[in-house]
Amino acid sequence: MSSSKDNLPDKPDRVSVSRRDFLKTAGVGSLATAVTAAGAAEAEAQAGPRVVGPGDVPVALTVNGKRVDLRIEPRVTLLDALRNRADLTGNKRVCDRGSCGACTMIVDGRTVYACSTLAIDVQGKQIRTVEGLASSGSLNAVQQAFCDVDALMCGFCTPGFIVAATALLERTPNPTSEQIRRGLDGNICRCGTFVRIMEATVAAAAKGVRRV
Amino acid sequence: MSEQNTGRGRGAAPQPPPPIPTPDPKYAWPAKPALLGTAVKRIDGPDKVTGRARYTYDINRPGMIYGRMVRSPYPHAKIVSIDLAAAEKAPGVRAVLAWKEPGAEVVYQGDPVAAVAADTEERARDAAQMVRVRYEPLPHVSTEAQALAADAPKWHSTQENTRAGVRQETGDLEAGFKEAAHVVEATYSTHVITHVCLETHGAVCEWDGDQLTAWVTTQGVHQCAQQFAQSLGIPQSNVRVITQYMGGGFGSKFAPDVQGLICARLAKLANAPVKLMLDRKEEHLDTGNRPSAFAQIRAGVTNDGKLTAFDGRSWGTGGAGANANFPLPYLYQFPNRRRVHTDVYINAGQQRAMRAPGHPQGCFLTEILMDELADRVKIDPVEFRIKNAPPKAPNQMWVEYFQQGARQFGWEKRHPTGDPAPGPIKAGMGVSAHLWGGGGRGTQAHVDISSDGAVVVRCGTQDLGTGTRTLVTIVAAETLGLPTSAVKAEIGDTNYPFSPGSGGSTTAASVSPAIRITSIKALDALFARVAPVLGTAPENVVAEGGRIHVKGDPTKGLAWKDACKHLGTEPISVDGQWGEGLSSSGTSGVQFAEVTVDIETGVVRIKRILAMQDCGLIVDKLTAESQVYGGIIAAINFALFEDRLLDRVTGQMVNPNMEWYLLAGMSDIPTIDIVLNNMPERGVIGIGEPPTVSTASAIANAVRNATGATIRSLPLHPHKVLAALEQQKAGGTQ
Repeated sequence: MSSSKDNLPDKPDRVSVSRRDFLKTAGVGSLATAVTAAGAAEAEAQAGPRVVGPGDVPVALTVNGKRVDLRIEPRVTLLDALRNRADLTGNKRVCDRGSCGACTMIVDGRTVYACSTLAIDVQGKQIRTVEGLASSGSLNAVQQAFCDVDALMCGFCTPGFIVAATALLERTPNPTSEQIRRGLDGNICRCGTFVRIMEATVAAAAKGVRRV
Repeated sequence: MSEQNTGRGRGAAPQPPPPIPTPDPKYAWPAKPALLGTAVKRIDGPDKVTGRARYTYDINRPGMIYGRMVRSPYPHAKIVSIDLAAAEKAPGVRAVLAWKEPGAEVVYQGDPVAAVAADTEERARDAAQMVRVRYEPLPHVSTEAQALAADAPKWHSTQENTRAGVRQETGDLEAGFKEAAHVVEATYSTHVITHVCLETHGAVCEWDGDQLTAWVTTQGVHQCAQQFAQSLGIPQSNVRVITQYMGGGFGSKFAPDVQGLICARLAKLANAPVKLMLDRKEEHLDTGNRPSAFAQIRAGVTNDGKLTAFDGRSWGTGGAGANANFPLPYLYQFPNRRRVHTDVYINAGQQRAMRAPGHPQGCFLTEILMDELADRVKIDPVEFRIKNAPPKAPNQMWVEYFQQGARQFGWEKRHPTGDPAPGPIKAGMGVSAHLWGGGGRGTQAHVDISSDGAVVVRCGTQDLGTGTRTLVTIVAAETLGLPTSAVKAEIGDTNYPFSPGSGGSTTAASVSPAIRITSIKALDALFARVAPVLGTAPENVVAEGGRIHVKGDPTKGLAWKDACKHLGTEPISVDGQWGEGLSSSGTSGVQFAEVTVDIETGVVRIKRILAMQDCGLIVDKLTAESQVYGGIIAAINFALFEDRLLDRVTGQMVNPNMEWYLLAGMSDIPTIDIVLNNMPERGVIGIGEPPTVSTASAIANAVRNATGATIRSLPLHPHKVLAALEQQKAGGTQ
């Protein structure tokens, strides 16, 4: 087994930087993206900044295996692009600055805070949202386990937890309790469902998460 | 907002429950239920885990535009002028309005001033920044101490900073203190926290002529419709409010609020649907909070541990012009007592009901005192509480819970105050108790049974995440003898029959009887049609196990669907309402906590919590337990993490976000054990609030037991723990 660090998502546990304001003023997002998905934007950064905008520009995203074509301002985040322009409202906007995890999506296999990721920066990447986890109508093991043990109440944080737990189990199929806690520490629930989220994640790991 | 949830200043003295009226035996809960009290999975779980569930925040309407509010950056100022011209000309702007007039006062940071609507959210944000408001800043007060100072500036130019609150006196205070062998005198306090609903407050409003449809994230759809109608000056029949799913309310979402009314007005002005959801900062500043609580207390006890007297002077703030009441003393029986309360106003957003309003505060102020008194007379805290708890009654189970809980928790292993173990990590245990009302009435419902056997139950209640949709399904399915999958529950819409707002832990007790009674009425109507087919009288027919059959002979009957075929072209369609005898009120609970404290860093870690709790008849074991887990975790936040911080100099909130407004994550959650006492004979009561009341006090008492230092104010942040330890070293904390 490889070291636990390699198996954990790259999302920081608790981020204390006000990313949104940073993003809004950054204009070009390669540097900003590097904060959320370390190293993910290296190639682009090496090619030098490319000026786009300030008006609407075409942005092509690959979301849950399907191409989504949008015309949006370059400052639009991945979360807002999908929620407001593509009607993919499963992932939620809660803190809007990368500290609660409700917007967690998987981009090229790594979890990102979609509220703090610019849409233009994830073109050409595989984006997975909570809508893309169930296959042909049947829930994935994490989703099923959340329902079975009542690991949700109001449900507003749930999509973020489902995505984060799925990403964790895809990379770390047999996590320790400590790895589960660390893997989900970047998500906040206000109703207080953590006890059963732990139970559900353990149950899902026992069943195994198959990548769809 | 409704008065029923604004905190109860007098509700501290427990009362034995009034006798539960006998229900019409026809409607009584079944003696051997098939579903009630079992672990039924949340009906809408699959919708929530796949992202299919549409919350207000997720409503996207054709042609919809986005609203954004302009708010005061000052805690206190006079508006000199509002210039909307630049905003009106900004790209994509469709509507602009001023909410306040020049000359008006703003009395807290975040006080609404104006609003815009534009075709994208980004452009709405830009345009809001172009509204030019000139303010004349006025002096402000940002803490209770500032407001109470002799030469304090006023929070509002024409109003006082204080208001005399409740004043209660019982018995003979002087005699009580004379009888006391020991007297403890100290000041206790709790802090302000905000609700932090993950789905921020807001609405989507759409007009069709003079008809308004409003998707609102609310705890009361019918209440919301009433307030839209009153505030907009339109008939309530022209308003429809929908809340299919909502992302948390905790007492803060009973009305359209300013943002809802502004949303409706912007939609009218722009002639387009408008979505106006607050951002996280606005949510902290302007959607309610739990008020602070302070009390300077003198209390007396005899050598054998009987409480004799309580003299408390209390105060607290609910912000700009809002009161801050709480019960005091809490729960325990002081034969001679006096309490004098003062409400203090500061320049901050107004309080709203927050999960068990008043009780966590009153509980903390009293329970820390209880441990101090117990130490004075050298009696174990559990034993001391048993000596002074109200007598046992169905809604007053404390004595039993103290005894049973102490055994289960391993209380006998608790050391006296101050962990004697060497090293910096000290361990300790604490205990605390609580009460709550619950109970409810007033819900109406409708049941349709079609000739194909389909069942639809409609009820204008709403599911806050508590599981109301599941509860409606369970009660109907239980009554009709069907699996939950055969019943469709439709809620969260003012097109459905009236149900009150969800506050005070009243929803389960209000909704369950209404669904039970209406479902039985539907069955009566069905039996009248099917009994002749079975060759018997309607009173000899029962519905169970998915069949309609002759009582006592399951073979003489029909499968549900076959029976319903006899309805032909005339389906069953009946209305019903809440009735007496199926619900009651009054709950009790006790909680135990074990913590470790690092006396070098002041960091508190919670190891275990045990909750003993009753809630009457349990409808769904799974969702009931989730409520208890949730209440405890909310209280862990209250005890250790969250704190609304106002800068004393600028009056600005310094942590209006979710990275400096701290909330627990996975790694902060202890082992939590729940003992849920099912009392079917009491009917349904409700459990949303009670479990959140006593956790923080149990934790604080455990910290005291670990360290030997008494921390008399929440939250138990490391610097306060260290300060208390320093004070103890310098001569003790009494």
